[in-house]
Parts: sequence; C-alpha cells; structure tokens
Amino acid sequence: MGQPTPNFVDLISALQAMLPVASLLVDDENQRPFECDGLAVYQQLPLVTVIPETLLQVQEILRLCCLHKVPLVPRGAGTGLCAGAMPHAHGVLLVMTKFDKILHINERTAEATVQPGVRNLALSEASEPYGLYYAPDPSSQIACTIGGNVAENSGGVHCLKYGLTVNNLLQVSMVTIEGELVTFGGDGLDAAGMDLLSLVAGSEGLLGVVVEIKVKLLPRAPRVQVLMAAYSNVTAAGDAVAALIGQGIIPAGLEMMDHLAIKAAEDFVKVGYPIDAQALLICELDGTDAEVEEQLQTVSQCFTDYGAYQIRVAKDDQEAAALWQGRKAAFPAVGRISPDYYCMDGTIPRGQVAHVLTRISELSQHYGLAVANVFHAGDGNLHPLILFDASIDGQLAQAEALGGDILTLCVDVGGTITGEHGVGLEKMPQMPYQFSDAELAQFRRLKAAFDPYELLNPGKGIPTLKYCQEYRSLHNG
Amino acid sequence: MADLTAQLREQVQQAKSEQIPLQIIGANSKSHLGRSVIAMPINTAEHTGIISYSPTELVIRARSGTKISDLNLALAEHDQRLPFDPPQYQMQGTIGGTVATNQSGPARPWFGAVKDSLLGLGLINGYAQEMNFGGQVMKNVAGFDITRLQCGAMGALGLITEVSIKVLPMFKASLTLVFEIDQAAALEIMPAWSNQNLPITGICHWQGMQYVRLQGGQSGVDEAASGLLKQLPGALLDATLAKEFWRQVREQELLQPHGSQVLWRWTGAADASAEALPGAQLINWAGAERWVLAEDRPADNMALVQYQGGDRQAEVNPAMDTHNRALQIRLKHAFDPHGLFNVGRSYAWL
Ligand SMILES: Cc1cc2nc3c(=O)[nH]c(=O)nc-3n(C[C@H](O)[C@H](O)[C@H](O)COP(=O)(O)OP(=O)(O)OC[C@H]3O[C@@H](n4cnc5c(N)ncnc54)[C@H](O)[C@@H]3O)c2cc1C
Repeated sequence: MGQPTPNFVDLISALQAMLPVASLLVDDENQRPFECDGLAVYQQLPLVTVIPETLLQVQEILRLCCLHKVPLVPRGAGTGLCAGAMPHAHGVLLVMTKFDKILHINERTAEATVQPGVRNLALSEASEPYGLYYAPDPSSQIACTIGGNVAENSGGVHCLKYGLTVNNLLQVSMVTIEGELVTFGGDGLDAAGMDLLSLVAGSEGLLGVVVEIKVKLLPRAPRVQVLMAAYSNVTAAGDAVAALIGQGIIPAGLEMMDHLAIKAAEDFVKVGYPIDAQALLICELDGTDAEVEEQLQTVSQCFTDYGAYQIRVAKDDQEAAALWQGRKAAFPAVGRISPDYYCMDGTIPRGQVAHVLTRISELSQHYGLAVANVFHAGDGNLHPLILFDASIDGQLAQAEALGGDILTLCVDVGGTITGEHGVGLEKMPQMPYQFSDAELAQFRRLKAAFDPYELLNPGKGIPTLKYCQEYRSLHNG
Repeated sequence: MADLTAQLREQVQQAKSEQIPLQIIGANSKSHLGRSVIAMPINTAEHTGIISYSPTELVIRARSGTKISDLNLALAEHDQRLPFDPPQYQMQGTIGGTVATNQSGPARPWFGAVKDSLLGLGLINGYAQEMNFGGQVMKNVAGFDITRLQCGAMGALGLITEVSIKVLPMFKASLTLVFEIDQAAALEIMPAWSNQNLPITGICHWQGMQYVRLQGGQSGVDEAASGLLKQLPGALLDATLAKEFWRQVREQELLQPHGSQVLWRWTGAADASAEALPGAQLINWAGAERWVLAEDRPADNMALVQYQGGDRQAEVNPAMDTHNRALQIRLKHAFDPHGLFNVGRSYAWL
C-alpha cells in the first residue's frame, strides 16, 4: 500500500460520507481479492476500493477523484489478462460488479440494454427464450462482464463470423472523469460525427467508466454443426485454415490447438481428442440445414485435401459440446500441467501461421520453456501459453522475455501485439515496437482530450513520453 | 497509380506553417454532403492505387484516392467484394471519402458499416505527421481505435492516406422478392424478417412495394425465398430489374432534390412507426434508415440529416448534446490543433 496523500485523506472522508459502509473497502484484507486481474504476476493493493450501486454514486466518485486528483482504475470481473484492472498504489479501485441488471431485451429489434456488470454468458442466457444470443463469447464468458468486454473490445470463438465487441455495439453511456454522463451511438445504426462509440471499445478504462451498453443480439441458427480435424503436423493444419478462408468459407468458429494443448485438454476433460495429433482444428458451421450441408462438404474436403488424417463430425449437440469443451478448457488444462503459465495474444496474417509456429517452437527451445498453442486460427489470433514455474528464480523473467520475443515476431510478420486481451500494464514494453513516437504521442493527446489530468487507469495502455524515450535509448543505443 | 504521400504531407506542412485552412477533396463526388466550406483544396484524386491485395487473407490496402469502382473491379477478379457495398457516385467515389463520410449500402444492417470492415489506415494529422493505425490483421486492440474514429469524421482529424479493408467472398446466388404492401404494414414485417436466420442483404419499401434481397449459397437463398413467399404473397423480381433497383438504392438515386427541395435522411430505431416521419418515403435498412424529400424540415422532433440541398451554410447534421460536442472539439484539437482540416464541414463549431 502506498502513502496516502493529503488529497487522499479528504477524498476518503468524502467517500465515507456518500457511500454505504459495505461499498467502501479500506483495509488490506478486504481489498486482497482485488489486487490483481487474471494476470496474477502483477499485483498491487489500491488505497481504497469502492463498489458503488447507483449511477449517481459512480458520477460522484469520479467527480471526487477529479477534484482531488486521485487516480482511478475501473474493474469488472477482473478476468482481464493484461493487468488492465490492476489497482493503482495511490488510487481508487472502482468495482462495477453491482451493476448487474439486464435492463431491456427488445425481442422485435433483437437488441439488449445492459448494465456493465452483467456477465457475458448471463446475457446470452437471458436472450435464449427469444431465440436470440449475444455473439462475442470470450472463453471467460461465465465470469467476465460486458463492461469489461467493451473496455477490452473482447473477442471469442465466434468472432470470426460475427465480429468483436465493437462490431456488436449500438450505444454506450460513459461517465467522464469530470463525472458527466455522456452517450455515444444511439437508436440508429449511424450517428453523425466522429465514431466515439467505436473509440470507447478497447479503450481499457482510459477514457471513462462505462455505465450502460446497448448491444445487437443475433438469432440462434437453426443448425449448428461442429467438426474436428486431426493433423500430424502444424504446418498442414495452418495451411488448411488459410486455404479454407481463401476459398470464401467463413465458419462461425475455427480454432486450432497444438500437440501440448491437445494432450493437456484431453487429460483434463477427456472428450476423445486424438492425443497423438500434432494439431487439431475445431470448426463450427451455422445456418439453415441447406446452408450447413453445403458448407460441410466443402470444409471436410478442404481439411482432407490438406492432409487431415482424421475428421470427426459431431453427431449431436452433446458431441458438439464435448468437442468445444476441450478447447474452452484449454487454459485451465494447461494450468494443471505446469505450476504457472503465461498467455500471449498476438495476431498475425493467417498465411503466416505455419511460419510463426515454427519460430515459436525455436524460441521455446532457446529459452528452455515449453509453449502450448491454442488459438483463434480463423482470425490469425494466437494464444501461445508459456509454461514456467514462478518459484524457480528467474523463470518468470525468462517467460516474459520469451513472450516479448513472440510479440515482436507478430509485429515483424505484419501483425499486432494484441488481438483481444489488450495492452494494460503487461504489453507496455512492446507498444514502442509497434508504434512510432508520433503515433504514441497522438494516442496520448487523444487520452488527454478525455482525461486531461491523467487520472483514469494511469500507467496502462499507452506509454508515456518518458517511457518511450527510455525505450528508444535502450534499443537504439 | 501514384504514391503522393510525401507531397501531401508537404502540402499539410506548408498549410501549417502558413496557417492556411484546407479542404480535403478526393474526386469531389460528395461535395453535396456536409456543410459547404471554402478553404484551400488539398487533393487526393491522383493519390491512387492498390498497395496490396491478398485474396486468401481477405485483405486489400489501397491509397485513399482509389475509386470504389476500381476496388470493386480488382476484387471481382477474385470473386470478392467490399462487405459494406458503398455507393460509387458515378464511378467517381473514392475509398478515402467513403470512410470519412461513413457510406454504406443496403446490406448495412447485416454486413455492417465501413467501420466494421476497416482494419487500419494511414493518416496525416495537423502536425503534418504521417501515422499508421490498425493494420492488416482481423483483430487488433493495441492502442486506441483511431482507425474507426475516422468513420464519419468528415476529414476533421486529418488526411487519410491509405486504408486496409477486410473483404468477403462474392455471393454465389442472389434474388429479390417483391411484396405489394403499404408502408405501415412493411414496417411491421421488417424487424421480424430482419432478425431471423435468413440470408437477407436488403429490405426496402418504396412506392407501395417491399423489396427483399436474399444473397448467399444457392440452397440457402432458395429455401429462404420459398419460406417468405409462404408467409406473405409476393413475387420474384426479374434479375436485371432487381440489380438496377438495388443499384439505385445504393447510389441514393431514387429520391433526388430539385429546386428548393431538400433530401432528408433519418436513421433510428428500426421499429419506429411509419408516422414518425411524415410523407412518402424510401425506407431502407429494414426500417432503420428513411429518406424523404421536402422543402421544410418534415419532423421537428426527429434527428434528421439535411442530406442534400437546402441551405448548406446552416447546420445540416442533428444537434449534438453539450458533452458530446465538447469531446468532439477536444478530439479535433488533439489531432488538428491549428484547425487545418475541413473546419466546419460536419458542424459549424467543429
Ligand atoms: C480463462 C480466460 C479466458 C479468456 N478468454 C478470452 C477470450 O476468448 N477472448 C477475449 O477477448 N478475452 C478473453 N479473456 C480475457 C478477459 O476475460 C476479457 O478481457 C474480458 O473482457 C475482461 O472482462 P472483465 O469484466 O473481467 O474486466 P476486468 O478484467 O475487470 O477489466 C478489464 C479492463 O476493462 C476495464 N474496465 C472494466 N470495466 C469497465 C467499465 N465499466 N468501464 C470502463 N472500463 C472498464 C478495466 O479497467 C480493465 O482495463 C480470458 C480470460 C481468462 C481468465
């Protein structure tokens, strides 16, 4: 815990005056559960944690932080994987989980209005009776919140066909650091002026606190067909993915796992994956019966042409669910075989998959740390999981170095350091690699337009000028 | 086919040092949009050419002066298309202008707007700096989404030099059904049809007829057509007529203002009633976009865009609340502190 500043003492008494006792946590013990997000290697206790219940409280909290110039970090469910929601040592942690109401589902127009603390899966479950669902489905959907999804512009296995969070947003209301409520987007599909709705998506809590969200829902497809293809080498599987998309087939989902991930998942959930396979593709097709039948032929043919030695077409919903379960449980499965793992999130052009996987395995050997690969193959979004043991001196640093090399590799082949998990605190070192000084300065000016005092989630997402200068002198000198 | 980036940057640099405001002009096909402003032209019309196109990656990157029609031709060679199917404006419209004015065609509700296919872009800001945001990959959340922020910004944040766009395969089959029903009945049906699992890429109502376009795989399209015809008596429209109809909708040619007439555009909730906007109108986007010709503002309480015609010195876009307005002004300043680009084009105050 950092040293409370005089400003802070005033802030605390103001917060105490306005919030019920249960909404304000000040002692270390109660704040401990909030000291990190899903990337637990970064931990920090805030000075105070607030868990407001009303919009007015949120507005007042921001107003107070602005008045007293105290940093504020918004937090949803804390499943983020880039330390984006890690508290600030001298700041307030604003937990939005009490805002968990689905305000309205418009069956006719297939739209839902929700509070930011609504869990991603809860929205799809509530939409189910209307034959609707919310398409962006991060693997963490049981726990993560829609507010967090907006802040990270999260994706999921169905984003290949149905887009990321940003592509499914209709309207967002946000509280600014001055405590003002502002709404972007609207009832219609387009609003005049700059697209601030899209800007808020992926802004990692750096521009404001999201308090209400309207999203598009989709009708459930009459038929969903899942199939799995096994390969004896990753290159062939990677090429099959590129070929399939190149042929104009956009499956609802197209995922890939490598040998280590397959084995870990199979040991964990026992769904019948071929454990000798070097690569597995899991593909989901959706649509009407006729559409799915037509696609199934093409997809199976393509997988076979590229050397699949086994193709399994799920016979029923149960088998489909089982095939997915292994993929969805891949992270925890890897967690079972290694004391710690570190999940990366680079995106590359699909055609580079085979090349990048080969390079990753070379890097893995070089660092002496195993890497399991699980990824959204259709989008070229990789999730290499670096296995390490934090209790062994120096291994965390090694894992981070290996991770950094993987990210710069992604940039080198024309990709990006993060496809869906965000920059947060974690990927700051790679930002100056991907962006020029002019671009980073533009990001900072953009942030200042919303947050002139740099109070919202400071030290995350966008490196400061000083950080960049140090980076350049280190890497050019 | 020329890369004029360096020259354009030089022009911005000069405008900056001499404090001369600029108006960004592509092929000048959209001069009727936004407010009329007078400033020194900076022209991207010659800054053309496809920089890279990888059909298997489904990505094309082109300079901002490249015409939509040229992009369409290049894509058609590989059986691919722009998902947002923007108007071509007599084959003159450029991709830069399309992004800046946020133009999408009849398939908007199902295949998204420009922003949904936009992966990255190059921009020269008001500091005369060349910058690149986004990229060529499908998912990218590094840094703020400055790429999508440009959609609808009407060039207020800088000059777009090049754009990367996600493309999609061409539809294998296409057909259009017509139903003779009135406006109110059409608006009842539209949201229901729009939100079913149907391969719909257009629902319009125009002059007593509802037009429904189905596109996709042959079997899916046929299945959907017979299903809809069972729900409501209608007919298959001749393929040539259908093509021409959807072209006119996309090109915004069905309603053209004459004399003192104004073309008004409204976008809003698809289930808003027919009375919301009075008068004979074109209903597009399954009810979410409506167009009407009238001399005077047809409805006071609606957020209407004075799309074409009328007094273009006045505000033409719907009024913006004070908080949004303040943020747009601050953002403008963050990119263009000297007020060089398209000042006053979208709003008098921006
Ligand atoms: C096992 C596992 C699997 C995952 N799979 C995926 C996946 O498939 N795809 C994917 O994209 N991500 C995935 N994630 C990452 C994570 O779940 C997402 O980033 C998710 O959107 C975070 O939501 P959250 O509610 O937990 O947000 P948090 O972690 O609490 O916060 C994330 C960021 O959002 C900000 N924030 C939160 N709420 C608000 C708000 N109301 N207003 C403003 N800012 C806010 C925070 O400051 C922080 O920067 C996975 C994580 C885990 C642990």
